[in-house]
Amino acid sequence: MSDSIGEFTYSAPLTLGVELELQLVSRRDFDLTRGATDLLDTLAYDGRFGEIKLEITESMIEVSTLARATVGDIHADLEGLRATLVKQCDLNNIKVCGGGTHPFHRWAERRICPGERFDEVYQRYGYLAKQFTVFGQHIHVGCTSADEAIWLTQALGPYVPAFIALSASSPFVDGVDTFFQSARLNAVSAFPLSGQCPPLADWNAFVDYFKLLQACGIARSIKDLYWDIRPKPEFGTVEVRVCDTPLGIEMAAALAALAQSLSRYLLRTRPPLHAERWLHVARYNKFQACRYGLAAMISDPIGFCQVSLRDSLFALLEALAEDAEVLGCAQWLKVLSAVVQAGSGDAEWLRGRAAVHGNLHDTVRDASACFMEKTA
Amino acid sequence: MTEVLGLPRPWWEAAQERLFFLPPFPEQADSLALFSLLLVVGLLIGEWLSARFRWPKLIGYVLAGTIFGPSLLGWISIEALAQARPIADAALGLLLLEAGRRLDLRWLASNPAVRRSTAVDIALSFFVIYLFASLVVGMGPAWAAATAAVTMASAPAVVLLTVEEFKAQGQVTERVILHTSISSAAAFVLFALVLGVVHAEYSDDWLNAVVHPLWVVAGAVLIAWGVSRFALLVARRLPKRSLAQVFILVASALFAVGLARMLAVPVFLTLFLMGALLAFRDEKQTLRYTELPEGHWLLAIILFVVIGASLPWHEFTWLTGLQALGLLLARALAKVGALYWSGKDLPAMKRLLVGVGIQPLSATAVFMAYELASLYPEVGRSALLLPLFAAAIMEIAGPALCRFALVKSGETALDDKSKGGIG
Repeated sequence: MSDSIGEFTYSAPLTLGVELELQLVSRRDFDLTRGATDLLDTLAYDGRFGEIKLEITESMIEVSTLARATVGDIHADLEGLRATLVKQCDLNNIKVCGGGTHPFHRWAERRICPGERFDEVYQRYGYLAKQFTVFGQHIHVGCTSADEAIWLTQALGPYVPAFIALSASSPFVDGVDTFFQSARLNAVSAFPLSGQCPPLADWNAFVDYFKLLQACGIARSIKDLYWDIRPKPEFGTVEVRVCDTPLGIEMAAALAALAQSLSRYLLRTRPPLHAERWLHVARYNKFQACRYGLAAMISDPIGFCQVSLRDSLFALLEALAEDAEVLGCAQWLKVLSAVVQAGSGDAEWLRGRAAVHGNLHDTVRDASACFMEKTA
Repeated sequence: MTEVLGLPRPWWEAAQERLFFLPPFPEQADSLALFSLLLVVGLLIGEWLSARFRWPKLIGYVLAGTIFGPSLLGWISIEALAQARPIADAALGLLLLEAGRRLDLRWLASNPAVRRSTAVDIALSFFVIYLFASLVVGMGPAWAAATAAVTMASAPAVVLLTVEEFKAQGQVTERVILHTSISSAAAFVLFALVLGVVHAEYSDDWLNAVVHPLWVVAGAVLIAWGVSRFALLVARRLPKRSLAQVFILVASALFAVGLARMLAVPVFLTLFLMGALLAFRDEKQTLRYTELPEGHWLLAIILFVVIGASLPWHEFTWLTGLQALGLLLARALAKVGALYWSGKDLPAMKRLLVGVGIQPLSATAVFMAYELASLYPEVGRSALLLPLFAAAIMEIAGPALCRFALVKSGETALDDKSKGGIG
């Protein structure tokens, strides 16, 4: 059964929404545990901060804020969602944790959540569905029109490495240090419709492209597109999907601030897209950011050179200062400036804790405490 | 068996004249050899039941012990059973150590509904069984209290092994484990008190009535405290989760089992306390993540075969059997009712399933009953037939009920496999 792509819903310009996929860990050994449906079964919550819902496996839970105009409101929603979740988890003797991957869980032990959509994903993708027990942050930016959304989807493309490097929090997989800053995206890359949005002139071109995918039996609904950045017509947004879930909600709000101020900057200055050229280097740049984080060297297909991601982030954050000021999120960009200045973020923090403890159980214990307790 | 071995006797005796190293003709099969064969049979029955009907393997082990033990076919003698007792003690000790480590008081602190349902389960189970034993069966107060103390708790060994066998995870599983641990703790405390009550009723010697419970409790606490401290001190010098730490954990547990046996302190109480102390006093998470080795399944086979062989089926009467069924029914209603009415933070169906999941009644009950019966063998043995038959019935039904609850709650790996794909 194929779903129609539907009409593009209008959104107030540059409004934000944030989704965080979170880890549910056992309080006994800090391994992932099966707990999502049990949490939601007895959750008494009126939805005032947004939604709390199931994800593909029972060890994940997704929180999503309401659509908000400012990063401050997003942060307040995330605080409310965190408090609600922590309270409910206490009742069920489990803990919540940030981070893009669980450092030592065994994917084969994961359980698929009940639900038609999850069953279908499991049937279609087999073990990939269980290996998809990775945890990302998705940021929605409101667009006033469908054409604007398609343009912004492509304009944000070159900045994918920046989002990856700043949010990277998944250095460990299967109990070993992967040497990656963000190993999470390797799990996403296995899906056939992951990757980048192709060069598209406007909304009609996107609709034609999607119809082609449907006609060839490749995609059934827009949910099948696991692109790094994709339009989300039902929300009237562009969705940035490459971030790891950070260890704390402050970083999650800061990344939303980057998406909002960058979108405003791009829509205001309307730089030429060069979408085809960026497409040539997109996978390489993504790998660089995942592997080296802020230390990555990024290919520039316009200047025909390589640039340091860290240097380009200094320049970008400076360039966004004016837009951030107008949007009222300048203070949140300072969180990112501090990370760029230090040259290390959540991934290095996790490695540091692992070195101190000599084991990954205590590392997750610290990461969980960090998510549960850290305040702005 | 002797007849079979008797066939080559003339040949053997003739050979003995020429071959001086040959021992005298073996009149009986070696009990260790027979016991090992019994373990193999137990293992095969367990694996067959598991593969054919998806029944818990424990049922197969118990059936093998029951069928080939002294009560029925008599493959294994009471003496051989006594020889295997230290291994069974070690197996039970390790499983109770794990149950003690799972005694999660922080959860009780953070969830009032769990606190409430735990208290109601303990109180209701004890009083319902006590009333049944005294009013329906007509037992005296001391043996009725003993019966209640022995049978009120769920079986940690059965629950932990069933959870592990079916890879269960979730709220029903976690609560079954928690209720089992806490009700075991309560049963052990009541068991110590009952020791005094039994002495008081059957002996004029008040000293024993006072000192024996104190000896049991203080002895168990001291051994558990000392050995857990020793284990943490040594383990702190070793890498976390290393094989060396596993060895320390197992060796310390066996050391505690040995000390408890030397001082006539119940092994189950000592090891449970040791596990609890290891969990509470491990501020640096030294042994928190160290798990028992897979080898404990081998010990579990021995434990449940021995328990199956220890059950007094030869003393079975229809009246006692019916009384045991009545006791189990009253106990089941108390447990399911307690969980249903007081654990309101779970959906009703899951509360019922927790109540079903904590039905097992097994190894510790059998050992507690024999411990009590040995105090006054002339009266104790017959007085405690009721809890022993209840335990005997639940040896078979308990693992099946626990499995039913875990599978029905959708928390086992079976549930995932039923969706197809790769399990």
